[in-house]
Amino acid sequence: MSHHSPEDKKNIGWADHPAFVRGFLWFLYLSCAAALVAGFFWQKEHPHFAVETVPVFFAGFGFVMFSLIVLVGQHLRKLVGRPENYYQERE
Amino acid sequence: MLELSDNPGVILLLGAFIIIALPTIMRRPAMLLITGFSAMRLMGMEVGDQTVLSLFGLDLTPMKFDVLSRLFLIVFHIAVTLNIIYSWGVKNATECWASLAYPAAAMGGVLAGDWITLFIWWELAALTSVFLVWQPRTRETYLAGMRYMVIQIASGVLLLGGIVILFRQSGALAIGALDLRDPSGLFNPAALMLFIAIGVKSAFPLLHNWVQDSYPKSTLGGTIILSVFTTKLAVYLMARVFAGTPELIWIGAVMTIFPIFFALIENDLRKVLSYSINNQVGFMLTGIGFGTAASMNGAVGYAFSNIIFESLLFMSVGAAMYRTGTSKATELGGLYRTMPLTLMFCLIGALSISAFPGFAGFVTKGLILDGAAEGHNFIIWLILLFASAGVLEHAGIKIPYFTFFAHDSGKRPKEAPPMMLIAMGLSAVLSVGIGLYPEPLFNLLPYQEQIADYHPYSAYHIVEQLQLLLFAVLAFALLIKFKLYPPEVPSTNLDFDWLYRVPGRALLFKIVSLIVSLWRWLWGGAQEVVTRVMARTHRTHGPEGTLARNWPVGFMALWTAVVLAVALVFLYWVA
Repeated sequence: MSHHSPEDKKNIGWADHPAFVRGFLWFLYLSCAAALVAGFFWQKEHPHFAVETVPVFFAGFGFVMFSLIVLVGQHLRKLVGRPENYYQERE
Repeated sequence: MLELSDNPGVILLLGAFIIIALPTIMRRPAMLLITGFSAMRLMGMEVGDQTVLSLFGLDLTPMKFDVLSRLFLIVFHIAVTLNIIYSWGVKNATECWASLAYPAAAMGGVLAGDWITLFIWWELAALTSVFLVWQPRTRETYLAGMRYMVIQIASGVLLLGGIVILFRQSGALAIGALDLRDPSGLFNPAALMLFIAIGVKSAFPLLHNWVQDSYPKSTLGGTIILSVFTTKLAVYLMARVFAGTPELIWIGAVMTIFPIFFALIENDLRKVLSYSINNQVGFMLTGIGFGTAASMNGAVGYAFSNIIFESLLFMSVGAAMYRTGTSKATELGGLYRTMPLTLMFCLIGALSISAFPGFAGFVTKGLILDGAAEGHNFIIWLILLFASAGVLEHAGIKIPYFTFFAHDSGKRPKEAPPMMLIAMGLSAVLSVGIGLYPEPLFNLLPYQEQIADYHPYSAYHIVEQLQLLLFAVLAFALLIKFKLYPPEVPSTNLDFDWLYRVPGRALLFKIVSLIVSLWRWLWGGAQEVVTRVMARTHRTHGPEGTLARNWPVGFMALWTAVVLAVALVFLYWVA
């Protein structure tokens, strides 16, 4: 919502409320921190791969791969993106 | 011994024809009753039951009930029931008929013990399901349905070819494990044809576009029912016939990756979920490819739970579409204000497909990754982890985020209708139920000794999964915060089907016009020859022709006398 008339403020949904957004983000940060710390305490007893013994491997892998998918993947649009009625015009 | 009346395929197929004769108001209740009756017959079956039949000297097994078919028949019944409830308001005869007849065909196929029976159900599944694609009755869906038919029938032709070669090789028709390669390492042609036939229906990479082309164009209920049966029947057959086939590991791994990128840039959320089907089937096929007890349990267990939570996601997007008329991310957003229950169910589907601890995906997906770990296949293991982050992106975050949050579309639709909410609620309960209490599902899995030793809720499994998922969510939150997440744009994204929809189509038209010209040339030439012959005949034999001129009678009499004289002289000389 770009303009904030009193009417808009009254109608603002709970998920757009800055307090909710802040709360959600804090919950996420704390959960991430907890998962990270937990990685040092619980590890696979019989790991198949060396990386499984790195306590923060899964956290790092998840963060980097997700970012890569989004940041790299969006460029696929330049290659395959066409106007919405592309096929209707041709069939 | 199973009777014909035990076969859910037969029951639902007959039921499909009965309900179209009923008054519209009775259709949905009757569908529910028929499915309930079929489920009751299913509960009466014992593992090991089968029917043997000798026909034209061939030994057929039209029905064979074992642990694997039991699992798929149970979840297929659940899926049909949920869909009947979800689409309660749809009374249209064609859609009601196809919503029973198509699952009937898939269930008949699951129960088939021989290839001939399977072929019949296989073709029936193609023929009945296309009506769901055609159902919106637009030119677009008509064309998509025709493309869908061509591909499905091609898969049937391959299947039949494989069956014929297999029969000539071994003389047997029973469905059982096959080796894709001979001991010499060469492909066995029969097995290869069957592998590709089933591969088409599993939507192998490059053979996958029929899913995205047809499924999102169907009706709300049609899309959900389509999303369940064809690909999962194919997964079931792969598990039955090609377990432990190494080629499947890589095919499955590729399937888990590439749809992620197409789903990322796709605007139509029902199409995003269609890409998600490819990705999810990829996990199952990889598990089947490893062929270990753990990975097989994981693959078929994952198929079971996937059918439920993937349907749930389709249902929640369908509910938003029912209320707003669109499933495009650019036109949705902000619906959380007025559709809180649909949002909640959608989130449960999203958490399940992302395999968060406590939800259905978590308890079985780990088994597939364990298969990769046991085989010390590091690359595949990494690919599957990568794909898990990808699932979270397109199915776990994109679907709920762009439907219910993101930018405010200004739309304030009513909450979904009660029957849709009930269907979504039941799916959500099952998704959480399987996640928290997986034992009933584990009891259905084929390798009981393995699953007895498996504990999905070990501390490290929870920790590694939470690390992976929570940090991926963190990445999403930061990308949004720093405005690095790409906005949705209305577009058509070309995929492999472009090849046969644009240049392929143009080539086809070119070939057709060439054949037409050739025909015209041949036919025109033949016509000219005939015309010339006729003209010449007319010249000689026509009224003015040389051969039609008049002769005087005396001339005729003279010639008769000459012929008689010659005959007389000849006879006299001979005698």
